[in-house]
Amino acid sequence: MEAHIVCCHECDELSTIPRPLRPGRYKCPNCGHTLFRHRPGMIEKLYAMSVAALILFLVTNYFPFLSFEVFGNSTDANFTTAVQYLYEEQDYLLAVALLMTTVVIPFAQIFLLLLLLGPLYHGRVPYYAPEMMKVLEAITPWAMLDVFLVGVLVSIVKLVKMGTIIPGTSLWAFASLILILAYAQSIYDPHPIWEKIEEGQNEGRVKRYVERDA
Amino acid sequence: MRAIDRNLGSCPVCHQLVHFPKRDPEHVAAYCPRCGSEVFPRKRSSLEYTLALTLASIVFYIPANLLPMMHVHTFAGTQSDTIMSGVIYFLETGSYLIGFVIFVASIFVPVLKMLILLYLVHSVRTGKSRFPKERQRLYLLTEIIGRWSMVDVFVVSIMIALVHFGGLSSIEAGTGAVFFLLVVIVTMLAAMAFDPRLIWDPTKEHHAH
Repeated sequence: MEAHIVCCHECDELSTIPRPLRPGRYKCPNCGHTLFRHRPGMIEKLYAMSVAALILFLVTNYFPFLSFEVFGNSTDANFTTAVQYLYEEQDYLLAVALLMTTVVIPFAQIFLLLLLLGPLYHGRVPYYAPEMMKVLEAITPWAMLDVFLVGVLVSIVKLVKMGTIIPGTSLWAFASLILILAYAQSIYDPHPIWEKIEEGQNEGRVKRYVERDA
Repeated sequence: MRAIDRNLGSCPVCHQLVHFPKRDPEHVAAYCPRCGSEVFPRKRSSLEYTLALTLASIVFYIPANLLPMMHVHTFAGTQSDTIMSGVIYFLETGSYLIGFVIFVASIFVPVLKMLILLYLVHSVRTGKSRFPKERQRLYLLTEIIGRWSMVDVFVVSIMIALVHFGGLSSIEAGTGAVFFLLVVIVTMLAAMAFDPRLIWDPTKEHHAH
């Protein structure tokens, strides 16, 4: 690859990046925003993290994360309990938003990462990798598991005066999931993945887009 | 050197550098050869979208605060909680940290976000060129903090899931929660619609002359 020119997403400044890349963060010379991070081994680490995340996600959703007991009556809640009750009360907007932000989108995120990184780890690029990356990019801001964890903590404090709160099996899995997702988020950088996709496109193994004029 | 001055732009999805066709400088658009996304030199109608969505969020924010977030049904009767009454409850019962978290997430953050977005739109419209870095930081802040306002919606949902004892006691979501959800979604969309490159344009045009 010839002289590598990068355009800053925040301020539109062009900067030339000398090759080969050295590990670390590349900053925009104008505004100081991160252009990209070069981290050898990112794909391997991210792959490992998404396998762990998938397991923890399944555990989290299968077991109840909190139980609540008042005068001998007890209730269990897992991630879809509230969705079900909201749906029964015909609060459809709340039900859909809750289901999307805490179950569907986080799962899609983890699942897409696995589908992408699994083959990448073995040196292949999936044919639909560009589409997968586009979906991943679009849904990421709407995954709110970390916010949900804070919501759980606030609810515990709110309910602790009304009855007995029993942390469920999945609360620990959930807390670990948040840690793993936070770590994955901190090392995630789309640039090396897009470069692999580009290599794959040049070799004709990955979906290409015909250049069109507007 | 700005990319736009060289007829270049970066793909909003994969950050690929893209050449714009030269024909019509007002309506340039290109397709990213790597991911097929449509690329524009600047997000289209960025200020209009941001302003419209921010104003919409202000409208939604009023019922979100006035209407109850949830109704608590017990054998003693029904009690309705708004955001502010929840915060006051926590402060009165001595849970200062939780009261503070709820206050920051549900009242401080949305208002701050709306004010920042209004200020940024205003500063770009008036062609302000001072403090670009500070304004960029404000923009990045709105992007990061926006989702945390969902905390209150989640708290209501978890309470609904756990306090569900049939006729004995149960919790129901109020209309305020729906409006609050809309506030969060709309402010997130407003922040996404804003193009931070507009902040830097006046400073760089100044240098170019």
